[in-house]
Amino acid sequence: MVDYKPQYYPGGSNIAANRRKYIDPNYQLRKLRTISDDDLVRLMGHRVPGEAYKSVHPPLEELGEPACPIRELVEPTPGAKAGDRIRYIQFTDSVYFAPLTPYMRAWMGHMRYRGVDIGVLSGRVPLEARERDLEKVAKELVETEIFDPARVGIRGATVHGHALRLDENGLMFDALRRFQFDKNKGEVVYVKDQVGVPLDRPIYVGKPIPEDELRRITSQFRVDGEPFRNDVELIQFVQRIHMLRTEAGFDPNKVKDI
Amino acid sequence: MSEEKKMFLEALRRKFKESPEEKQTKFYIYDGWKQSKRKREFVEAAQKIAKERTVPFYNPDLHLGGIPLGQRVLMPYRLSGTDIYCEGDDLHFINNAAMQQMWHDIRRTVIVGLDAAHTVLQKRLGKEVTPETVNHYLEVLNHALPGAAVVQEHMVETHPGLVSDSYVKVFTGDDELADEIDDRFLIDINKEFPAEHAAQLKAAIGKRIYQVCRMPTLVAMTCDGGTMSRWAAMQISMSMINAYKLMAGEAAVGEFAFAAKHAEVIEMGTLMPWRRARGPNEPGGIPLGYMADICQASRVKPDDPVWVALESISMAAVLYDQFWFGSYMSGGVGFTQYATCTYTDNILDDFCYYGAEYVKKKYGGFAKVKPSWDVINDVATEVTLYGLEQYERYPALMETHFGGSQRAAVVAAGAGVSVSLVTGHSTAGINGWYLSQLLHKEEMGRLGFYGYDCQDQCGSANSFSWRSDEGLPFNLRGVNYPNYALNVGHQSAYCGIVSAAHGGRGDAWTTNPLIKVAFADKDLKFDFTHPRLCFGKGALREFMPAGERDLIIPSH
Repeated sequence: MVDYKPQYYPGGSNIAANRRKYIDPNYQLRKLRTISDDDLVRLMGHRVPGEAYKSVHPPLEELGEPACPIRELVEPTPGAKAGDRIRYIQFTDSVYFAPLTPYMRAWMGHMRYRGVDIGVLSGRVPLEARERDLEKVAKELVETEIFDPARVGIRGATVHGHALRLDENGLMFDALRRFQFDKNKGEVVYVKDQVGVPLDRPIYVGKPIPEDELRRITSQFRVDGEPFRNDVELIQFVQRIHMLRTEAGFDPNKVKDI
Repeated sequence: MSEEKKMFLEALRRKFKESPEEKQTKFYIYDGWKQSKRKREFVEAAQKIAKERTVPFYNPDLHLGGIPLGQRVLMPYRLSGTDIYCEGDDLHFINNAAMQQMWHDIRRTVIVGLDAAHTVLQKRLGKEVTPETVNHYLEVLNHALPGAAVVQEHMVETHPGLVSDSYVKVFTGDDELADEIDDRFLIDINKEFPAEHAAQLKAAIGKRIYQVCRMPTLVAMTCDGGTMSRWAAMQISMSMINAYKLMAGEAAVGEFAFAAKHAEVIEMGTLMPWRRARGPNEPGGIPLGYMADICQASRVKPDDPVWVALESISMAAVLYDQFWFGSYMSGGVGFTQYATCTYTDNILDDFCYYGAEYVKKKYGGFAKVKPSWDVINDVATEVTLYGLEQYERYPALMETHFGGSQRAAVVAAGAGVSVSLVTGHSTAGINGWYLSQLLHKEEMGRLGFYGYDCQDQCGSANSFSWRSDEGLPFNLRGVNYPNYALNVGHQSAYCGIVSAAHGGRGDAWTTNPLIKVAFADKDLKFDFTHPRLCFGKGALREFMPAGERDLIIPSH
């Protein structure tokens, strides 16, 4: 059998290359900042730092699971083993060269993490998981290159802003003003948690990524950046998928001579 | 399209003080809802009412725990194809009498053929039917249809001032017969349609004759869609009994009653399945092709199928997205913000006219080529890329359509309408829509929302999935087509895709010639030849609807 080599994403552009990179779980996301565990817990707002995880069922070991071959096949995550609640973190990604797009965020998450449920909308992406698993995932999502403090927002509700123009400091609009730009420090600071509850103390999440760096690492095609029109391979790939689905539903083998 | 010709720029300049190309602005400085004249009016009215009724009422300061609407500019909207600007609130159907009247005028219309009744009258009941008897019958029915008695001697009736918009007219494809009908009752195809369209319509309708019954708007407002054909049926049968001096009760009249009341009834919307729990003449049962035919813009500019499609899209947006999905199916007020994207600020207009110019230059005009993968791929891809590039060139445009579903709907509508124009085929048009959605998703890495995207990622697979003997099954889809059942923001454009295909071919109608003629009626309250202008008048509070109750309420 020929060795299988994953083909994560088609296309000849730098944007397509970045997409492949983020989806590939073997690519190590670059760490750009450190957010303490307690601050991350505060930002998400599901529990008070230090508070025990609330559970929705006893630990699986105590629960006495029924005999089930699927359960034997699938190793539960630590949060599932412990019976944690399922909680969420949600991000809004600006159209202005944010590192990820919603679909990229979802595809990346599905390739990299177990036990997550990810939804995709035009601006925001909720990621749900057992609480202790969520905190581990969230840490990577906030500390690495895929999080730009200015153009990515941690927002549970009233999420819109992804398509709005940027403010005078280059920040994405946030109706709840959860984050602000601290001109003295040159950093973005959160003063409210993801659903807009004021924090007891501000949480700094670092300096905005410079524009030229954002343009280099973004996974967004833009006509004022790298235009989609130029990635002929990707366009033809999409056209082919469309043709196959049209002619044969989801069984492309029915199309002759492909 | 050259810079100066871009149709949306004027509206963008009016909406925002910055240049449309500017990427940055200021937020949080606009004094919240107080920046809006309409919101201020709402607050003033609500405070007065709250005092009177003692129950708390509208208070925008409760929004988001004290963070009110208007943290950014609350932008005005231009009704596309007009010079009318209004606030977003003015486009909610509760605040817009023209939108209400459009729906009432559709719902209260029932078409009933007369030929079956005439056959039974002549062959079974031995009555003579002549143009004179038909004219007499129509006079009787114009008395009875609004709610008057014609047979009984002691009977309650409706006040004519409350039901003045109720009447019956007839049309036929037979010029000789039409000449014999009293002008007051006739929808004259020769007068209402361009000659080419009139010839097509008359050929399709032939010698048959149809009544167009308009029930009172007040009935449409207070009863349901199923009421309409019943109301028409009762008044038709009573008027027939009166006009032709029939015996009330003999067995033969039973046969006649079926022929006159039910056999040739065409409802505007079909009965919905039980999971939707709606009767006939509700928005969910109106096929896309019927909506395209109800729109009468093709009578005004038959040589501009893009404009015609855009007008029909506006009607479908209001009826399908705002009334049906926004209220019948979901409740709440959110869908208006979304649905207006297809008929405001000349944005979809720009994308569609770009597509039209592209296909004219490359393919020599409309409906000049058969559907093929080469054509669908070429046109849908080009218009999709153009639309997406406009959002990226003009941040004010991106902000105007700040929800991805708005952009997805408008870009794909441009693509679908353009494919319809070039092929003259709505099924090719809808396939172009679906290609556009897939391209959009890959370009932006984002599209609409869960269900929106689901519909469009399945759509390629169900656009050519079956054949009918006339090849246009798409025209008969509607908002209750399985994958479309709970997804705002698609059906308005689908109506335009149907319209553009037939407009591109020079057809007089898209799906049903009877529907097309039934709404070619200057006595309707809503102007179906210029729906966007009419919605604009509604927004400016310059539209006078029917169904007012001043006659029966205290002066106010």
